[in-house]
Amino acid sequence: MRAGRVLQFGLQAAVAACFFFPLYWVLVTATGRRGTVYRIPPILVPHFDFHPLLAVWTAAPWLHYFANTIGMTLVTVAWVVGSSALAGYALAEGRFRGREALLLALLGAAMVPEQALLVPRYLVVHSLGLLNTYVAEILPLLLNSFGVLLYRQFFLTLPSSYRDAARLEGCGEFGYLRHIALPLARGITYAVALLAAVAAWNQFQWPLIVTDSRSIQPLEVILAHFSQTYQSDWRRMASAVLLAVGPLVLFFAFVRRQIMAAVTGDVDSGLAG
Amino acid sequence: MLWSVPRQTTTCLATKGVELLQETRAVRMFPPSRTSAGRRRARATSAFGRIGRGYWWVPYLLPTLVIYGLMVVWPTLSLFYVSLLHFDITLTRSHFVGLHNYRTLFAQPLYWVSLGKTALYAVLVVPPTVALAVGLAFLFARAIHRTTGWLQASVFLPHVTPVVATSVIWVWIFNPQFGLANALLRHMGLPAAGWLESPRWALPAVSVTTIWHTVGLYMVVVLAGLSRIPKDVLEAAAVDGAGGWARFRYVILPLLSPTVFAVTVLATIANMQSFGYIFLMTGGTHGGAGGPAYSTTTDSVLLYYTAFKYQFFGLAAAMSTVLFLLILLWTAFQKAVSSRWVFYR
Repeated sequence: MRAGRVLQFGLQAAVAACFFFPLYWVLVTATGRRGTVYRIPPILVPHFDFHPLLAVWTAAPWLHYFANTIGMTLVTVAWVVGSSALAGYALAEGRFRGREALLLALLGAAMVPEQALLVPRYLVVHSLGLLNTYVAEILPLLLNSFGVLLYRQFFLTLPSSYRDAARLEGCGEFGYLRHIALPLARGITYAVALLAAVAAWNQFQWPLIVTDSRSIQPLEVILAHFSQTYQSDWRRMASAVLLAVGPLVLFFAFVRRQIMAAVTGDVDSGLAG
Repeated sequence: MLWSVPRQTTTCLATKGVELLQETRAVRMFPPSRTSAGRRRARATSAFGRIGRGYWWVPYLLPTLVIYGLMVVWPTLSLFYVSLLHFDITLTRSHFVGLHNYRTLFAQPLYWVSLGKTALYAVLVVPPTVALAVGLAFLFARAIHRTTGWLQASVFLPHVTPVVATSVIWVWIFNPQFGLANALLRHMGLPAAGWLESPRWALPAVSVTTIWHTVGLYMVVVLAGLSRIPKDVLEAAAVDGAGGWARFRYVILPLLSPTVFAVTVLATIANMQSFGYIFLMTGGTHGGAGGPAYSTTTDSVLLYYTAFKYQFFGLAAAMSTVLFLLILLWTAFQKAVSSRWVFYR
C-alpha cells in the first residue's frame, strides 16, 4: 500500500513535469547562453541572463501592448460581471412573461458555433463602423450567458426573507442587489471574473481579424507578428514569449484553486480555497 | 436539447455544456410556479411598495440584451442571408445569387480536402484527449501529498496560457534539426520526422500541441464528475464483495459515463472549430498557414483565408452555414447514440 502511494505520487510528479516542461523551457531558452536551444542533449538549467529580454523590451513599445491587453481585459471583466449580475437578478426576481424563454434563448447563444459566427460578426462590426477599434476587439467577449445563469441560479436560492427585510427597510431593487445579494454571491463574481479575464487575455483570432493597426492590438497579436522578426534569434523570441506567458503563469499561481473550481462551475469550493 | 458550443481557446465555455444540459433539465423539471422564487413572486403583490413592482427589470436586462442582439441574433440571422449574396464589402454593392455560393463551394476540391483534414484532426485529437483526461483524473483523484494540488494544476496550466506564445515553443520542439522531439526519437533509436515541414507529420504535430493545451481542462471536468460519485454506492459495492476492478468497471465507469459523454461532445465541437495552433504553427500571420501542401488546411483555416484574405464573404458565409449544420448534426448524432452507453441515474 505504502509503495503504491509512492509510485502514484511519482507518476503524478512525472506527468506534471511533462506538462510544465514546455513553459519552463521558455525560461531556459530566453535566459540561456547563445545557442542553448541547439544543444543536444538539451541544457535544462536556466542561466538567468536577461540581456536578450532587455533588448526585446527596448526594441518595441511593449508597455503599450501590455496596456492594450490589460485595459481590454479589465473593461471586459467589469462589463461581464456587471451585466451578468444585473441580468441574472432580473431573470431571478423580475416578474414578466417569457422569463424562462429568455433565459433559454440566452443560453442558446452558447450553442451557436463561434467559427460560424466569425464572418457575420465581422460584417456587423463593419456595418457599425467599428472596425479597427478597441470596442470591436472585445465586443464578442462581453456576452457571457454562463455568468448570467450562475448569478440567476444563486439569486434563486436566497431566502425570500432577505428581500422582505430589505423591503421593510425601504431598500429598492438596486440597493438590495448592490448591498445584499451581490456580496453574498462573491464566489460567483470571482469565478465569472477569472474566466472572463483569461478569455480576454488570451484571445487572438478575433482581434487579428478586426484590427490592422498595431497601436491598438493586444500582446498576443503583436507576438504573432514578432515571431518572424526574431525567427533566427531564439533567445529574443523566447524573451518575447516570456513577456506574454510569465505574467499569466504568476497570476495562475495565485488563483489556481479558484480558476480550476470556476471551470467546473464549482464556485463554492473556489471560495473556500 | 442540444449541447452548447464552446468557443475555441476560451476557458469557461467548455464546461458550459455540462451546466447547460443540467440546467435545461432543471428548468423543465421545476416550472416557475413550483420554485421558491415563484412562490415569492406570488406573495409579493402590493403589500410593500418598492421591491418587485413595475418594469424595473428592463434596464437590468438591457446591457446583456444589446450585446446579445449585436453579437448573436443579428449575426445568426444574417449568416444564411449573406450566404445567398455576391457580397462586396468595399463597394457595399451586393446582389442576390441564390445558391450559387453553395454550388461553388461544393465544386471546390480544396473544400472537401479541408473537411477531410478537419475530420482527421478530430480523430487525432479527441480520442486521446478523452482517454488521457479520464486517466489523468484517476491519477490525480487521490491527494497523496500536499503538493498534489500543484501537480494537478500544472497539467491544467497549459489551458490558460496564450496560444500564440505557446505555439512558438512547440514550433521549436518540433524543429526537424534542433528540436527536442527529434532528439528524443533519435535517443530512443527511432527515425526522426520532418514534423511541421512534412505533409504527413504536420497535423500530428499540431495535434500533440492541441492535446497538451486542452487535456487539463477535461481532466478537471472528469475530476468534478468523479467527486460527485456517492461514497455509499462504492461502499455498498465493496460490501457486496466487488474488487477494485469490478468496482471500477461496474460502478465507477457507468456513473462517470455522463461526464465522459459531455467531455467527448465538447472536445469534438471545440476541435471542429480549432484555429489558433493550426494557423500559428504552420505559418501564422506571415502566410503559409494550412501547409505544407494543404496538409493542415482544416475548415477553420480555409474559412479564415476565404473571408479575411480573399474577402469572399458570400462564399465564407456559405462555409459557415455548412459548418453550423455539420456541428448540429454531429451533436444530434452523438446524443442519439449516447443512450447506448451513457447511464443516467
